[in-house]
Amino acid sequence: MNRTLALKLEPYFYTAPSLLLIAAIMLVPLVTGLSYAFHDLILLDPLSGDFVGLDHFREMLDDDGFWTALRNTVVWTAVSVALQFTFGLVLALLLNRPFPARGLVQALVFLPWAVPGFLSGLTWAWLFNPVIGPLPHWLHGLGLLATPENILSDPRLALWGPIAANVWWGIPFFAITLLAALQSIPKDIYEAAAMDGAGPLLRFRRVTLPLLAPTIAITVMLRTVWVANFAELIVVMTKGGPADATQILSSYIFTLAFQRLDFGYASAVAAVLLLLLLAYAAAVMVLRHAMTERP
Amino acid sequence: MATITLSNVSKDYGGGPVLRGMDLEIREGEFVALMGPSGCGKSTLLRLIAGLEEPSGGEIRIDGRRVNEVAPKDRDLAMVFQSYALYPHMTVRENMSFALKQRRLPPAEIKAAVEAAASKLGLTGLLERKPKALSGGQRQRVAMGRAIVRNPKAFLFDEPLSNLDARLREQMRYEIRKLHRELGATSVYVTHDQVEAMTMADRIVALNDGAIQQVGSPQDLYDNPANLFVAGFLGSPPMNFLDATLAPEGALVVEGQTLAHVSPPAGLAAGTTLTLGLRPERLALTDPTEGTAVRVDVVETTGTGRVVHLALGPQRLKLFTMDPRPLAPGDVVGLVAPPGAPLLFDPVSGARLS
Repeated sequence: MNRTLALKLEPYFYTAPSLLLIAAIMLVPLVTGLSYAFHDLILLDPLSGDFVGLDHFREMLDDDGFWTALRNTVVWTAVSVALQFTFGLVLALLLNRPFPARGLVQALVFLPWAVPGFLSGLTWAWLFNPVIGPLPHWLHGLGLLATPENILSDPRLALWGPIAANVWWGIPFFAITLLAALQSIPKDIYEAAAMDGAGPLLRFRRVTLPLLAPTIAITVMLRTVWVANFAELIVVMTKGGPADATQILSSYIFTLAFQRLDFGYASAVAAVLLLLLLAYAAAVMVLRHAMTERP
Repeated sequence: MATITLSNVSKDYGGGPVLRGMDLEIREGEFVALMGPSGCGKSTLLRLIAGLEEPSGGEIRIDGRRVNEVAPKDRDLAMVFQSYALYPHMTVRENMSFALKQRRLPPAEIKAAVEAAASKLGLTGLLERKPKALSGGQRQRVAMGRAIVRNPKAFLFDEPLSNLDARLREQMRYEIRKLHRELGATSVYVTHDQVEAMTMADRIVALNDGAIQQVGSPQDLYDNPANLFVAGFLGSPPMNFLDATLAPEGALVVEGQTLAHVSPPAGLAAGTTLTLGLRPERLALTDPTEGTAVRVDVVETTGTGRVVHLALGPQRLKLFTMDPRPLAPGDVVGLVAPPGAPLLFDPVSGARLS
């Protein structure tokens, strides 16, 4: 072989094993999954498996279940991430100042993150159960509920149950990452701002927030994708009900695939969810780039 | 422009006092250096003046007004930090305008002030850059610029040049000094570098162990140090300290040889042991027959002259000379300490005796 050609190819030989491995474990399942979306694939129907083109996607346009799940996905994701972020930031700010037994409190605060999602879903379902849990009675006492009943069985309110569990469960993630980012801001920048005439609020707005912005952008994006895909709490707490009122796209996909066993249609919905999340991630990246690389 | 007055100021973080009962008056328009080794409390003192720390006791006054309880933002002081503490997400222009924007000055006025300061510091072409796109020296200038646009009551400098290389440091020393002359603002400058303190300050406050050792002009501290600490801190190469005995008629005997004569200080009996301080540049070389015989140990050439390390019995001393005579390690030469050169210290308390 020509020596220069060999030299040119050399780096590709070195990287080939990793690239092949990545392709095998990431791309192959992805492509396989996507290909299901264009096939009629029902597990219990041996005659299924034909190529159906875009039929599933046309079907989706008229599927009320899909549109409800899409709407719920937006509410579920937006509310959960917004509350997780807000409480997480407040917690990080509180933990960033010294107080006695701070190490212990930090460890305790991060505890929910260590609880499996499945377990926290069960616990919260019990908390909302008026027979054994206190929450309905407290909500009633506060005048938020007319009668102390289970909000998980009320189609108008049921989604708030899993959202509450999700917020509780997801706060530590934001608290950990934002606390780490806060601790990396040099103290003397705050001191310089104080000397420059900025009070605490202004220091937060003009120093803390801008310096946290890159971390905020990346964690909010990560969590949004994560939460949008996080069906566990809904499946455990409401099973998507009552009457599909709390389905989000990922739990709807789970229901379609493993209860109706319609893998083809489930894959088509999954493909749509994937596209939506990719579009969202791309938008955040563009926004972040525009914010940080201002000339 | 302001006067800053400290009365009996102390600071204790809980692990023993960091500053002990300090009294200091910084006059209007004065350039004062707080000088001392690391851990002596000089930065703490500066931060107390800035309001970034609260004194544990005593009183701080700016222009006569007690400021112990006043927040840093309301003291109208500007500080240049060792790390520069520039806002990394803001351009040079935004960094320099920040304080003026807090005061809600009209934009045109801010623009004019920033550009005037930038041209004074040679930053005009860099106004739209972020700090990370600047060199260390440029960042230092931005930190200075951020302070001078505000036209504050006083400037506080916390070792502002210690992150620069030797050459830049020398240049910035000159520029800070020149700026001070132009602006005439009261300045407090913290440094561990005796050269910075000597070259820049109107007055030096020498600090050690959380207490003021001596206050005075650089030349005064150099010529008349109050104790061993101040004597040893100023000067390069540093002052020689030798164990000596006072003999009758003011002769100072080191290792059995009479090294110098002083008019005997009152109250000191012959036979008293004391510490003899001799500045290397005040000593002179001569033939071994004329002066005290000492042995040459090492010769260092500095360009302007030579630093000669000498052995006098087990004791070592240094001499700075421009004398061109040939010198080699092992040579025996004569040493002369002219009248006025010897400084006497109490070997136990370190206090000056003469």
